[in-house]
Amino acid sequence: MSEPPGIRYYDLRHVRGESTLVDIDNGSVESAGTSFFNRAILRVLGPHGWGILQIDNFKPASWEKFNALLDSAAKLAAITGQDVNLHEASQRACKVPVMSEDPRGISIEEKTSLLAEIERAAALPEVVNRRANYIERSEHVTFSDSSGHEFSYEICRSGFNVLAVASRNGTMQMGYEREHSIHGFDLRHRQEYGRNAAKVAVSLLDAGHAKGGRMRVVLDPELAGVFAHEAVGHASEGDLVQEGNSVLAKMTGASIGNNRLTIVDDPALPEFGFEPFDAEGVAVQRTEIIRKGVVNAFLHSRETLAAVGNGIAGHARAMGAEPPLVRMSNTYIENGDSTREEIMEACKNGILLKGSRGGQVDPGRGVFQFNAEYGYLIERGECTTMVRDVSLSGDILSTLHGILLCGNDRAMHPGYCGKGGQSVPVSDGAPHVLLDNAVVGGSGVD
Amino acid sequence: MSCSITRWWVAVAWIDRILKEGSRRVEEVEVFYGEGTAISADLKRRNVNLAIRSDECGLGIRTIDKGRIGSSTTHDPKRWRECLDAAIASGRLATPQQWGGLPRQSEFSTETLCYDPTIPVDPKTASGLLGKMLEGAAEHPAEVTSGTATVSSTTDTVANSNGVRYTSRHTGVSVSLEAIKEHSTGSEFAQSCYNDIDPYSVGERAAFFASQSAGGTDIQTGKYDILLSPIAYAELLGAAFIPALSGRNVHAGRSHLASQLGESIMDSQSSMYDDTYRQKGLGSTFWDAEGMPARRVEFVRGGTLSSFAYDLRTAYRYGKESTASALRSGAHGGTGIGHHNFIVDGPRTEVADDRVIYVHSVVGAHTANPMSGDFSVEISNSFWMEDGEFQAPIRSAMLAGNVFAMHKETGGISEEVRQIGSLVLPSIRLISQRIIGT
Repeated sequence: MSEPPGIRYYDLRHVRGESTLVDIDNGSVESAGTSFFNRAILRVLGPHGWGILQIDNFKPASWEKFNALLDSAAKLAAITGQDVNLHEASQRACKVPVMSEDPRGISIEEKTSLLAEIERAAALPEVVNRRANYIERSEHVTFSDSSGHEFSYEICRSGFNVLAVASRNGTMQMGYEREHSIHGFDLRHRQEYGRNAAKVAVSLLDAGHAKGGRMRVVLDPELAGVFAHEAVGHASEGDLVQEGNSVLAKMTGASIGNNRLTIVDDPALPEFGFEPFDAEGVAVQRTEIIRKGVVNAFLHSRETLAAVGNGIAGHARAMGAEPPLVRMSNTYIENGDSTREEIMEACKNGILLKGSRGGQVDPGRGVFQFNAEYGYLIERGECTTMVRDVSLSGDILSTLHGILLCGNDRAMHPGYCGKGGQSVPVSDGAPHVLLDNAVVGGSGVD
Repeated sequence: MSCSITRWWVAVAWIDRILKEGSRRVEEVEVFYGEGTAISADLKRRNVNLAIRSDECGLGIRTIDKGRIGSSTTHDPKRWRECLDAAIASGRLATPQQWGGLPRQSEFSTETLCYDPTIPVDPKTASGLLGKMLEGAAEHPAEVTSGTATVSSTTDTVANSNGVRYTSRHTGVSVSLEAIKEHSTGSEFAQSCYNDIDPYSVGERAAFFASQSAGGTDIQTGKYDILLSPIAYAELLGAAFIPALSGRNVHAGRSHLASQLGESIMDSQSSMYDDTYRQKGLGSTFWDAEGMPARRVEFVRGGTLSSFAYDLRTAYRYGKESTASALRSGAHGGTGIGHHNFIVDGPRTEVADDRVIYVHSVVGAHTANPMSGDFSVEISNSFWMEDGEFQAPIRSAMLAGNVFAMHKETGGISEEVRQIGSLVLPSIRLISQRIIGT
């Protein structure tokens, strides 16, 4: 049997599974339970653009019923006017890493008890609130398309967050730690995360405000990873380039940073942003976005690769059964050859920024902003006063030239990235990085 | 038990089976069922790239037994027994708390607050909205990069074992457009539950901000008067101020405002309140997500902090009264504390007569410190403004401040207000705020 006329291509992605959440707030188990999800997305490429159906509670249908769904999606595609083409791409699945211990085999009672130990570890004098969450999401994904490809995989992501809030004389500060992984259950013996969150919250009560302005900045590996993600990653996404909404459009081959700088996105890396194949069934592999300071390649879906070129497909991702978007996965700055000590010494006077409270970018304007959890003033190469609520903003096309040194201690950190209303798991990483002439935001004054 | 829109009494009859079965096993049961359809169309530059129809349904079950609250959700109503089992199992692990019972049925007007039967939920309507935005965008020399139009219709039912059976219908229309000129971007959006938005104006404003912001100049670091547009104000309020009004955060030790009840926190003639029955309010409702009769909540009256927001769970635990502030995040989400239509009110002034820096939006509001309220964000589409007129654009700068302290440093609010999601806000003038220039 054949599909209705006028359909050039279709694919179906069905995502079902369970999520388990445990929430402990000041010693009280607020919730500890499991929910169920089952959703599918059918994309049909008509004579011009896409017609897409999203179906809750999807069940594989007979060919006749499936044909009716194709017909409905084709009717939606009839209002499109853009001529979408799909680039050829290698379609295959790689293996999901084997978990050390499958979280699904552990009772929710044990998960709750282990999380409670982490939450209790955050109990220090002056800590007025402790909150810990465990999040586990097990997804079974099946993909098939009109070219006869059919893949499926199962992946379980799990992890925890712990928050501590400290208060003294009307001043409130927080410390926050998290660990999320695709490698299996990771709640055992993690009390140090609770203790660290509490120590940071209490320490920040005595921290000063950073004085804003231009200065030398050392970014720790977590924040430097967010820097790579916000300052470069988003602007390299092929859909933004195609729309004319990225300052990196038409910049291939241009030098935008010093020759020590290489920035990579690799969905095949077994970190939190890992995907065995992308949301279009395309094989995943490493893309060097910036190579030795030069714009090298963009991240692409099959559609944006056909429209823009320069790069590979395999970077289409989706939150559950949402429409695929070009997204980052595991994004990092490659190691340089400096030690942390050399970087601190080279900084001389400036500020060390640690941890991330997130960031945002306007890729068309080329302006980004991100916020550190805390920092230390650097004086004569040594960390001195602790500072809080310090952020950094900059211009993509000029800030990367300010990277003076990259360390040799790259580390990856898990997180979530939002775009187009979809949040997907990612990891960001980098070594310590020394940045010259950076714009630091803070409310401190002389 | 399908994803198509069913008649309300069919939904309630089916839900009765869950309530009956659940009541045999636990003291109280609450069921939420939502279903609906949304149709969206997206622009890539000036052409429609895709059209999406999304059929959603979600079932949420909450159980209460001896003060232990359990919950679970599913996309598949036929799996309600599994969902009920999971909710009861979840309750067994929960720490017991004071509990005074789910609400009983109240009588409400049959009027619909957020429903407009004249909104056609079809691709042609979405396509037409995009076309109007493109016409508006042509008013200024900027390129459209992307845009979206969505029309939707949903039906939500909340029922419980104490006899509550409420069903409400909602419609929605929303549009947004992004534009660029050189490296200057602009965006605009509008949303309503009625067929009354002006897509032409949305397109025109997006292109205006992109074209007018081009060629901006630098600014020196220093203190300046700032005029936050309703969008910029909403971004900062939502990141740090509004979470501090949640009763749960207050009693858990996560709210900067916890100890300030009865104290002055803003100008003595200003107020903040939740207007649940607001005409055409996006969050207008007769009942909250737990079936409590909705009511006006005065958070700040005459500049004085007067109340926090409570759902039943938090109210029972801390000996307070529910303010009917329980909200559910979609058909497949859990309940939390929020507001329905959050209003900032006060004497209106000509906020842009004297020279001021106008800030249309900010980059990075979500990185504000939710405990202390401190923020330092990049400003977007910012201009010098005088006599209410946009003047020279500002290229790039950061605004550093504190979302609580800034309400004591205000220079008035504008006559015009704007609805941004469930917030209804004026522009607000802030005196002597710190700008970090480039």
